[in-house]
Amino acid sequence: MSLVSLVRTDAPSNFKISIEKAIELINFRFDPNIRKIVIKPNMCYYWDYSTGETTDPKFVGGLIDFLRDNTSSDVGISIVESDASAMKCAYAFKILGYEKLAKEKEVALINLSNDENERTKVKVRDSYYTFQVPQTLRNADMLINVPKIKYMVNLKLTCALKNMYGCNPYPQKFRYHHHLDEVIVGLNKVMESSICLVDGVVVRGSCTKKLGLLMASKDPVATDSVAARLLGLEPRKIDYLVLAEKEGLGEINYKSVGENIQYFEQRFPREKPVDKIKSLFVRGLSALGKIH
Amino acid sequence: MKTVKIGLIGLGEIGRAHFYNCFRMKNVRLVAVADTSKKSRLLAKAKGVRKVFDHYEKLFEDPAIDCVIISLPTFLHAECAIRAMEHGKHVFVEKPLARNVKEGKEIVEKAQKTGVKTMVGYPMLFSRFATAKEEIDEGLLGDVVYANAVNVGSGPFSQRSSGSFIPSPVPSWWFKPELAGGGALIDLGSHLINLLRWYFGDEIASVKSVLGHRFNMPTEDSALCFLKFKRGVLATINVGWYSLQKIVKIELFGTAKVISMDSSTKRGSSQFIQLLGVPTAESLSFYNELNHFIRCVANDKLPFPSAEEGLKDLEIVSLAYRNEIKL
Repeated sequence: MSLVSLVRTDAPSNFKISIEKAIELINFRFDPNIRKIVIKPNMCYYWDYSTGETTDPKFVGGLIDFLRDNTSSDVGISIVESDASAMKCAYAFKILGYEKLAKEKEVALINLSNDENERTKVKVRDSYYTFQVPQTLRNADMLINVPKIKYMVNLKLTCALKNMYGCNPYPQKFRYHHHLDEVIVGLNKVMESSICLVDGVVVRGSCTKKLGLLMASKDPVATDSVAARLLGLEPRKIDYLVLAEKEGLGEINYKSVGENIQYFEQRFPREKPVDKIKSLFVRGLSALGKIH
Repeated sequence: MKTVKIGLIGLGEIGRAHFYNCFRMKNVRLVAVADTSKKSRLLAKAKGVRKVFDHYEKLFEDPAIDCVIISLPTFLHAECAIRAMEHGKHVFVEKPLARNVKEGKEIVEKAQKTGVKTMVGYPMLFSRFATAKEEIDEGLLGDVVYANAVNVGSGPFSQRSSGSFIPSPVPSWWFKPELAGGGALIDLGSHLINLLRWYFGDEIASVKSVLGHRFNMPTEDSALCFLKFKRGVLATINVGWYSLQKIVKIELFGTAKVISMDSSTKRGSSQFIQLLGVPTAESLSFYNELNHFIRCVANDKLPFPSAEEGLKDLEIVSLAYRNEIKL
């Protein structure tokens, strides 16, 4: 059964120590031969980290400091994201504070949409899907997934598996929304992360709230399974999680270590049923052009 | 009242509000629409607009059009308004009048030369916030000593924050000061400067500002302004693009009475009200301001606020930028 560690953290000055603790709890060991590490935070649109919508650059900063202490001195670290239908990396890197972070920590900042890529075919269920895999990810020795935990109308949950959606360099991502489950699973199969470190310091559920959570696991499915529980969702009712398990990306069943999960469950700002109905109505009618 | 024939230029977020309002109004005929987007032109055709153009120049050539609504990015306001006036069209232009005082003056001079009517889109003057004007004028507040005006929200990011299902990219001109004329101060501050000037019937004698750059962009994403009116009223203006929650708030502190008005909107709630078929307070203010302009054109009266008023607001915005305090 996959291990998922839960650690309490709050102040940016503690991020490095908390990351160290969370990684130790899942018995993760760094290969001394790794030379290229890629970090994938969540940069959904231009929302500030303090809203809970995007990964805090200070959290990524703590991770970089930890990596510097625990890998070889010449390791190359890159932070990656790609352009999306509504978000351009050129602005997001600046607005969300990643440009400043990259300069401070002397790491590369890469827009995967501008990267060279190779078309890669992958089978999900009984169909084949083709994705463009960026060179930066192909050459990486290690991919660290640093997602957020959020509700999403069509998927119910967005966390580790969905965060890899941002590694797809094709900008018009909304075109994939018709078969999102297969695309998420397919992308995770061709761009496998080595470890997931969830920035749950500030979360956005029914509202924005300081949760002070750091979660670590080698298994993205188990990570999402814990995230689902925090949101009050049944993991086996989330289609892409079930599919991801079936396709061998990990296990829905997990063993949590560290802080008791109930501590965070009680504090997570869960959506009320009326919020869900309202959100579905508004988005549905917006999509149909009934409201403008 | 005679039927006023309108040409609408720009079908962006605000342009669409005007577009739908044109169909709700009596004595108004939307004759033509101009927009560079094919999708927008198709929308206009689908709603029965017969003349649809990809450039506003073609629209000006139509002699049937009495007036135009300009709802374009700020850097196109002056060029488009001046060309419209040269063709004898009355002009309704979205705020800010232009990206700087020089362009604003060119618009005002052209309006004076051509004799066309002009109006700048400041919907707050046609919203529930307008009720305070009557209270001030009737002396119910005594002497107003201090005013605090707030407009904080998502600014150009609001299309996404409003819960739209289809992602809307922020047009890049918003992030370029040379195209937008500035950031949150010119975008949102111009509303509040205009409203306070109108409330007090007085001009601003001095202004200082503190600009915020949380988003690390060349344009400011927040601004605090400290103003003093000629007759002594002190005011603060607080604007920002940084919040998921939109709030517009006015507080007026008088010697006899203090009033506080606000219209906070949570993400998605205004859409929910639309869904129920009820016009939102915001959409009503857009309707009211356009209705005022149409009535003025039809009855040969001067609309308010005119381009001259918009220029005065731009002068204060420009002064606020020049008088930035570094804390």
